[in-house]
Amino acid sequence: MPSSIIKTENLTKIYSGNIKAVDNVSFEVEEEEIYGFLGPNGAGKTTTILMLITLLKPTSGKATVCGFDVAKEQAKVRACIGYVSQDTAVDESLTGRENLLLQGRFYHLPKEILEKRINEVLEMVDLTDRANSIVSTYSGGMRKRLDIAEGLIHRPRVLFVDEPTLGLDIQTRHKIWEYVQRLREEAHMTIFLTTHYMDEADKLCDRVGIIDYGQIKVVGEPNELKSQIGGDIITLKFKNETNSYANQALEEIKKLSSIENIAPTKESYNVVAKDGETTIPKIFEVANKEGVMIESISLKRPSLDDVFMAYTGRELREETGSKEDLMKERIRMRRARK
Amino acid sequence: MSALVDIWNVCWRELKRFRRQPARIFMSIVQPIIWLVLLGNMMQAVSQIPFFPTKNYLDFMAPGIVVMTTIFGGVFGGLSIVWDRRLGFLNKMLAAPISRSSIPIGKMIATSLISSLQVTIIVVAALALGANITTGPLGIVAIILIAMVLCLMLSGISLALGAVLKSQETLMVVMNFLTMPLMLTSSALFPANFMPQWLQDIAIVNPISHAIEPIRTITTKGWELAILPDVGIIIALTLVVMAIATLLFRRSIS
Repeated sequence: MPSSIIKTENLTKIYSGNIKAVDNVSFEVEEEEIYGFLGPNGAGKTTTILMLITLLKPTSGKATVCGFDVAKEQAKVRACIGYVSQDTAVDESLTGRENLLLQGRFYHLPKEILEKRINEVLEMVDLTDRANSIVSTYSGGMRKRLDIAEGLIHRPRVLFVDEPTLGLDIQTRHKIWEYVQRLREEAHMTIFLTTHYMDEADKLCDRVGIIDYGQIKVVGEPNELKSQIGGDIITLKFKNETNSYANQALEEIKKLSSIENIAPTKESYNVVAKDGETTIPKIFEVANKEGVMIESISLKRPSLDDVFMAYTGRELREETGSKEDLMKERIRMRRARK
Repeated sequence: MSALVDIWNVCWRELKRFRRQPARIFMSIVQPIIWLVLLGNMMQAVSQIPFFPTKNYLDFMAPGIVVMTTIFGGVFGGLSIVWDRRLGFLNKMLAAPISRSSIPIGKMIATSLISSLQVTIIVVAALALGANITTGPLGIVAIILIAMVLCLMLSGISLALGAVLKSQETLMVVMNFLTMPLMLTSSALFPANFMPQWLQDIAIVNPISHAIEPIRTITTKGWELAILPDVGIIIALTLVVMAIATLLFRRSIS
């Protein structure tokens, strides 16, 4: 049986001013798993991480990392974890190599080992040729890669990554995902990450915990979660709605084995089907036979967005409002945290 | 032992950062030299006043500039901790298994080392302008050491405030507010015995005076036992301030 490398029981954090940031959260992360917290800004993701990495004292509840209590055995926890914050906290006035050197020294790595590790992690994040440039000349993506490399320098058993791709462009995000996956494969690391991007949670995580208002709503594998809320959604529109043949065709479509439900909307029909791709040709066949024309048809796979909606009753948007709102939100949360 | 290594690492980073900012290095050298030249010439007539302690105002004032530079360098020593907090670098350090106290102590030492560089340059400039240092090279070493202790104290105050205030704007305002009164109520630029009585009383309790007096004695009079109480006071005060700063920092992160 695989052992849990992170385990929390009723973990709770209440900030001054009675802000309940994390509310009775219990979950377990297994060794070599990529586990993600998915939720909107202010859901309590960062607060959970800060408690797990010993920087914040839980108000109540218990958490262990690598078997050590985060509130009582802080030094032992710190020695076995790595932390990559959402702030991309690299020192701009130092070179990439110097940043790594400093980080390695903070973990008390012997000189010869540190030298080797620095080259290793630089290679891993493709920064070898820019290692001796000052970080202020780096792009946002390069900084994030350096930041991740710093989290790896002491080969932690568990790596905590808070919003790994916040504010990065699509290509860079895909790159970062690749690095994270490679880490698990090559370094056999357990990775705990938080994100408010549902595609990130979907692509990257073995298991996802959906968190909202400080509570875990549901935990599961992305595919399992998506299939739980039903099948694919086919949106179907007939060319001549008033045609009586249309109703008859609908009756016939209902009889198809893969169809689970048909619900009329204003102008079209939402068909929930088990296997959308093979159902669509069958729908055409039926329509042909009944002599009805189909004006449009589309297929939508359920996303973690839909899962989020199903469990929280609201939408998880990719971006909550404008960039300013996002900044304000982050500053507000940070203030509450401190 | 590992705490010492941590202190050195924190300090190493600050020194590296300083070296990478040429404008900052340039200003930290040019500024005290300008003061030396400006104030030294502007106030030259002061030394004609009967009973003025030195014949040459420059001799009197050079120690004052040393202390002034130390103050200006020290009072902003707490800024870096506020920045580190804001940029998330502080959390990164705290997530590592390093001694918590090493962060404030390493930063104070770095500020003090940078200030020692400035002091060295001022002393050289003052000598070039014709100032006398009666105790010679050994005296210069003593001056630098006293200035470094004073700088540790001021950066300690700054850091303690930085740990509590957590905003660089507020810290700047508070430290600016403290700097000039600290300067002007000390005997840095003007002999205390020429001041009105109430100001003399303040000058005696002002910690800056306890740094300036031994430095001035060393440069203008020579090795006298009279410097020991002042040096003792300044070292004791500095240790207390450093302890308080470390304590406040530790409280601010828990």
